[in-house]
Amino acid sequence: MKKARDSRTRRAGKMTPHPGHGPGHCLNILKQLSAYIDDELPSEICEELRRHLGACPNCEVFIASLRDTVTLCRHRPTPALSASDRAALRLNIIRASKSGSRR
Amino acid sequence: MPRRTANTPPDDSQGPDGFDKLYRDHVDLLYRYAHRLCGEVEAAKDLVQETFLNAYRGFRGFRGDAQVSTWLYTIASRACMRMRRKRKGEPERELSLDEFVPTSEGEFRLQIPMEGLTPEEAFENKELREALDQAIQKLPKKYRMTLVLRDMEGLSAKEVGAIIGASERAVKSRLHRARLFVRRELSARGITQPGHGSETPSMRGSLT
Ligand SMILES: [Zn+2]
Repeated sequence: MKKARDSRTRRAGKMTPHPGHGPGHCLNILKQLSAYIDDELPSEICEELRRHLGACPNCEVFIASLRDTVTLCRHRPTPALSASDRAALRLNIIRASKSGSRR
Repeated sequence: MPRRTANTPPDDSQGPDGFDKLYRDHVDLLYRYAHRLCGEVEAAKDLVQETFLNAYRGFRGFRGDAQVSTWLYTIASRACMRMRRKRKGEPERELSLDEFVPTSEGEFRLQIPMEGLTPEEAFENKELREALDQAIQKLPKKYRMTLVLRDMEGLSAKEVGAIIGASERAVKSRLHRARLFVRRELSARGITQPGHGSETPSMRGSLT
C-alpha cells in the first residue's frame, strides 16, 4: 500500500498540506475526487493528488470506479418521445391550459 | 417588458403560435430531462405537461436575460420538487460524505464492470443499465437533480446553481455526494461483465 512509485518525483522543498498516505490522507483525497475529475483543482493540489494516486492502489481503484460512474451517466441514452406521443402531449397541454385546471 | 434576445420566444407566446414554437423547440429537451428525473414514461409526461403549463402561465415573468432552456429547466425542477414521490425509495435526506468512505480494503477495491469497454458496450450489460437507472432513482431528489443536470444534461455547475437556486459550491458538493452514492450502488452489486464472445478475450474469470 505504501510502495513508492519511481516515475513520480516529489518536487524538492514543496510544501504539502497533507503529507503521508495514512487512512486520514486517503479520506482527504476522496473528498476532492470529483473536483479532480472535473479539473477544478489548482495545479499544486492536482499534482499532490496524482502523487497520492500513483502510490495508493486503493485510491487509484476508487477513482477509476468514480470516473466510470461519471462516464456511464454521461452516456446513458434516454428514450425519446414518439411523434404520436409528442402530438398527444401537446393536445393535453392545450386542453389543460384552456380549462384552467392544474390537472 | 423583458429584454429580448435571439433565444427568447416570440412576443406572441400567449397565443397558439407562440406556444407551438416553445413546445416544438423544447419538448424533446424537457422530456429527456423529465425522463431522467422520474425514471419512467408516465411520470415524465406529467412533468413535461406541468412544466409547459407553468411556463405558459408564467411567461410574462420570463427574464429575457436567461436562455429559454435554462428557464424551462428551472420550471421543470421546481415542478419536480413539488411532485409527490409515487414510488417508494430512499426518503428525502442529506447525504453525508462519511457514509461513502470505504471502511475496508475490499470496499475500496469494488469495481464497475466496464474495463476496456466503451460506455455503449458496457450498456449492453442489462444488469449494469438497470443498476445505474435504479441508483439514480434512489438518490434523494435534490442530489438526483444535480447529478442529472450536471452529468447527464451536461450543464456547468454555475448553470445548475442558477436552475436549482443553490451556490456553485453547494452544487459541486451535492454532485460529489451523488456520484459517490451511484458509484457505491453500482460497485456493491457485484455485477460481472457478461460474455461478449471473442470480443473480449482478455476478460478475467468473470464468465459464468
Ligand atoms: Zn489513498
